[in-house]
Amino acid sequence: MSEIIEIKNISKEFKVLNRHEGLKGSFKDLFSRDYKIVHAVDNISMSISQGEIVGYLGPNGTGKSTTIKMMTGVLEPTSGEILVNGNVPYRDRAKNAQDIGVVFGQRSQLWWALPLVESFKLLKDIYQISDDSYNSIMKLYKSLVDIEPLLHKPVRQMSLGQRTLSDILAAFLHDPKIVFLDEPTIGLDVSMKSRIRALIHALNKEKNTTVILTTHDMGDVDALCRRIVIIDKGKMLYDNDIGHLKGFFGSYRTLKIRPSGDIKEQSEKLKNELDRFSAAVSVDNEWISVLINEEKAKVMEVLGEIQKLHDVRDMKLEEISTEDVIKKIYEEGVE
Amino acid sequence: MKIKRYFALTRAGILESFQYRLAMLVMIAGNLLYLTVVYFFWKAVYSSSGSDVVNGMTFSDTLIYLVLATALFNFMEMYTVWEIGRNIQSGKIVLDLLKPMRYRSYLFWSYSGTLATQFVFTFLPTFIIVCIATKGAVPLGTNLFYFVISVVMAVIINYAVDFMTGTICLYTESIWGINIMKQVIVLLLSGATIPVAFFPEGMKKAVGYMPFQSIYNTPLTILLNEKPDFTEVFKALGTQAFWCAALLILSSLFWKVSLRKITVNGG
Repeated sequence: MSEIIEIKNISKEFKVLNRHEGLKGSFKDLFSRDYKIVHAVDNISMSISQGEIVGYLGPNGTGKSTTIKMMTGVLEPTSGEILVNGNVPYRDRAKNAQDIGVVFGQRSQLWWALPLVESFKLLKDIYQISDDSYNSIMKLYKSLVDIEPLLHKPVRQMSLGQRTLSDILAAFLHDPKIVFLDEPTIGLDVSMKSRIRALIHALNKEKNTTVILTTHDMGDVDALCRRIVIIDKGKMLYDNDIGHLKGFFGSYRTLKIRPSGDIKEQSEKLKNELDRFSAAVSVDNEWISVLINEEKAKVMEVLGEIQKLHDVRDMKLEEISTEDVIKKIYEEGVE
Repeated sequence: MKIKRYFALTRAGILESFQYRLAMLVMIAGNLLYLTVVYFFWKAVYSSSGSDVVNGMTFSDTLIYLVLATALFNFMEMYTVWEIGRNIQSGKIVLDLLKPMRYRSYLFWSYSGTLATQFVFTFLPTFIIVCIATKGAVPLGTNLFYFVISVVMAVIINYAVDFMTGTICLYTESIWGINIMKQVIVLLLSGATIPVAFFPEGMKKAVGYMPFQSIYNTPLTILLNEKPDFTEVFKALGTQAFWCAALLILSSLFWKVSLRKITVNGG
């Protein structure tokens, strides 16, 4: 397998004006030269092989988009090196653009007023796709999704799901080596989400396209990614197999309890009572969840303790989900 | 083959502007309204001056000039500044930057379709009506040929000025004030609102060193010149060509330098 993306120690700094509060402060800002340096991305390295699907995760505002913008060539890194398919993206942006496709879940690259097929034709000319490859990819699309009814529909009349689907197809149209998907399933219903995932999976398989997937939906990660990269505050936290992730924090399990009485009240009590087990207690409308690290406490012990103090009406035991692990990483970092 | 991608964008632009039929009607109506204002304003100017010829132009000269200037404006106005500013604010600019084309040409050709429709639906009808209504006051000879060349260069100069103004939005992240300022400066100094012949001597001279009059004044002067003197026309076209080249290079450099500063919203 060849490396398609090589990133070595890249950093990106932004100069931001220190804003002051209030009317007087804002007036001062007009003449202020008081800048602070924000390290949006701080010394990140990774290499990605052709055909991989990599989940690129991190809390909001931690430099994910900045990294992607550097990989696509929109931003120039302050320091470090990037090679995308042998090109330096910010130097050969137009050349690099020919090798990559992009989908931003919140924006569309399609021509708003025109039927989808016109957008496709336009992209065909812009990316100089030959008739043969265009026809063959359209054939592939027709075998994967029911595209016919969409083709003659103006994009502005599409539902969000249809539009996202179309945007993904548009991004793969010129057979790019790499496709960046930035929150492709945001705002979609469950069935549309699974259709989108199936489509991405199929396109990756069929075309051996490298996919970099940014998302906050762990369902996407579980369904698509074998490898995940997590960054927080601009720094790399984790880069490994998804299987490795769960063992990473020791063996966690979630015990779900439904006590009698007011669930919120009970959970507050539990928090104090379970303090010595160092278990994390959270609550939703139906269940109290107790996250237990089995290296520190046995699940049965915790359950016994709870039964002694509360009247438990129902319980179930869950293996830790990717979502919980990621949440833990976001909140506590990697030790 | 490469040229095909540009015309593909033009085609899409034409298709798009046909999607908004009402906008087209409003554009034509607005055009008429403005012309009415121009007519009464200059009528008042001429009747209060007491003579038929002001600054070497008769009332009908001035009117023809301004009507055609308005038509030219409606055809050439590309709202590039708005477009760039809006794209920066919304972050959509990232998607445009990721096309395998230079942003400046991508944006221009994306708009060229609208330009073509505007030419057919505002400039041409106005021009024909003026020709018929004034019964031959507009000469129809070789000047038309020079005029077309001149207009093409005017479009390029106008676009380059717009593009540079739009680039400023990368720094300010606001559009409104900059756009209004640009519009006022261009419309005044280009001779689109008041014929350059009406300017005081000093200002006329200053304007001569600026690119703006190449946008409206030059093509209109060429068009309305009955007996085009070759050297004169050649000089005017030469000046335009100079500004074309200078502004294209300048706007390209300015954009390159500015793009490094770009932060892009939502990042």
